[in-house]
Amino acid sequence: MSHAKSEAVQEWKHAGASTASMYANFFFWLFREPFPTRQLGQQITRVMLEGFGILAVAGVVEGAMFAWLAGWYGTKFSVVNWAGAASLYLLLSAATTLIGAMMFAAKIGTAFTVEIGSMQMSGQLDALRLMAVEPTQYIVIPRVLASILSLPILKAISDICAIGSAIVLARLWFDISVPVFLQHALLVLRHTILTTSYIRCALHAFFIAINACGLGFHFQGGAIELGRTTTKSIVINLICVLVIDTIYGVMDSVFGWSTL
Amino acid sequence: MISARGVRFGFPGRPVLEDITIDIEESLTTVVVGRSGIGKSVFLKCITGLLRPQAGSITIDGEEVVGAARGQLLAIRRRIGMLFQEGALFDSMSVYENVAFPLMYHKSASGKEIDRRVRAYLDLVGMLEYTHAMPRELSGGMKRKVAVARAMILEPRYLLYDEPTAGLDPASAAVVESMIRRLQREGAITSLVVTHDIDLTRYIADRIALMEEGRITAHAGREDAFEEPSAIYEHFIENRERIRAENGNQG
Repeated sequence: MSHAKSEAVQEWKHAGASTASMYANFFFWLFREPFPTRQLGQQITRVMLEGFGILAVAGVVEGAMFAWLAGWYGTKFSVVNWAGAASLYLLLSAATTLIGAMMFAAKIGTAFTVEIGSMQMSGQLDALRLMAVEPTQYIVIPRVLASILSLPILKAISDICAIGSAIVLARLWFDISVPVFLQHALLVLRHTILTTSYIRCALHAFFIAINACGLGFHFQGGAIELGRTTTKSIVINLICVLVIDTIYGVMDSVFGWSTL
Repeated sequence: MISARGVRFGFPGRPVLEDITIDIEESLTTVVVGRSGIGKSVFLKCITGLLRPQAGSITIDGEEVVGAARGQLLAIRRRIGMLFQEGALFDSMSVYENVAFPLMYHKSASGKEIDRRVRAYLDLVGMLEYTHAMPRELSGGMKRKVAVARAMILEPRYLLYDEPTAGLDPASAAVVESMIRRLQREGAITSLVVTHDIDLTRYIADRIALMEEGRITAHAGREDAFEEPSAIYEHFIENRERIRAENGNQG
């Protein structure tokens, strides 16, 4: 039992060291020639295509769920016309960012870990090194930058889907007309709410991509270990998303970024 | 010439190479034989600087690999091509793109020149008709042939083969063997092959070294190696016959 425990501790230490070293490697190689422009383009396309479906569906579900909750409580406290304002505020300031980042970690983060882990397992990373190609530069940097650029766009798509489904549900279930819904929503929404949520989004993308690539990059072992590493990737990234959001939330409340 | 002196390497709690000393002579094919898991592949990775030995020295054309700065290591690696065990082709690229990749990434030739060289090397390994195929569509032997073409495209002085016939059926192994032999004849390249395949060794080796317990315990020319008595002969023939006899008795 204690042997298994110490093995698990060792595995998590290795995972921590892998991700930590990837942060250092990323910044070391980011400003060195040649910049992988072609790979960046390929990865943006890939991340957008792979992430579009799940973030759009998540947006629709979140929109309907928040509109229903806001409408239900609004009816209970006789402020049902404010359901649009409440649901959109929660959606745009927190929900689509947080849930979108979690979906991104599950779909794209794990894909990065498995892909790079398989490359490590089959010797492709060593083959790159022998061709005088630095794998961090060729493999990791395009994926991280593509994630930073793509996740805010995917969040925008998710936001549009969420707003759409919230409006439809409010209209059909609580009989709130579209003008009333939007009128009340615009009273509480500020551009700073959107700005800060998109900045948070880019931060999430950066940490998710680096963690996922780092775990794949320093992967050792066979198929079973690759499975475990993929699980670690999603666990670490979900915790990371929650921690970033908490820290950002605390700082926001201290400095008042989203209410400026 | 590749020269290793007193090379020692180990993973935490597991020593692998104890004291490797060997010279890989120019324009010859040296085969390092030894049982699986003894550290043959690790030795190749030490030569290419992918792993750093804890002690000893490895020189390529007189330049030290152990502890070399990144720039120096890259320059040394340009002289080396390596065939990995499974070929290590890039899954997302076609056969053509895999072979062209080193030239295209380093922009070391014009588009026309790249095309000419890619086609020439694919022709050399007999894979010219598969230029558009993806690695997943190829057999193990075909993947290794493409990997050899990719290793050759930068026209290295040294070609390292890591178990080139491992896991292949006899017919595919024979094709890979003939390809290595043909490359030797046509390219005058210094080759270092690590394997435990006796047939491959007999067919391609100019010199044979035996690795046991993390050391090179015997090093001889092909004729001497397969003469009785010799450590290499014993390793190959007697071990095989003894194991067969034991298995036969048990059966």
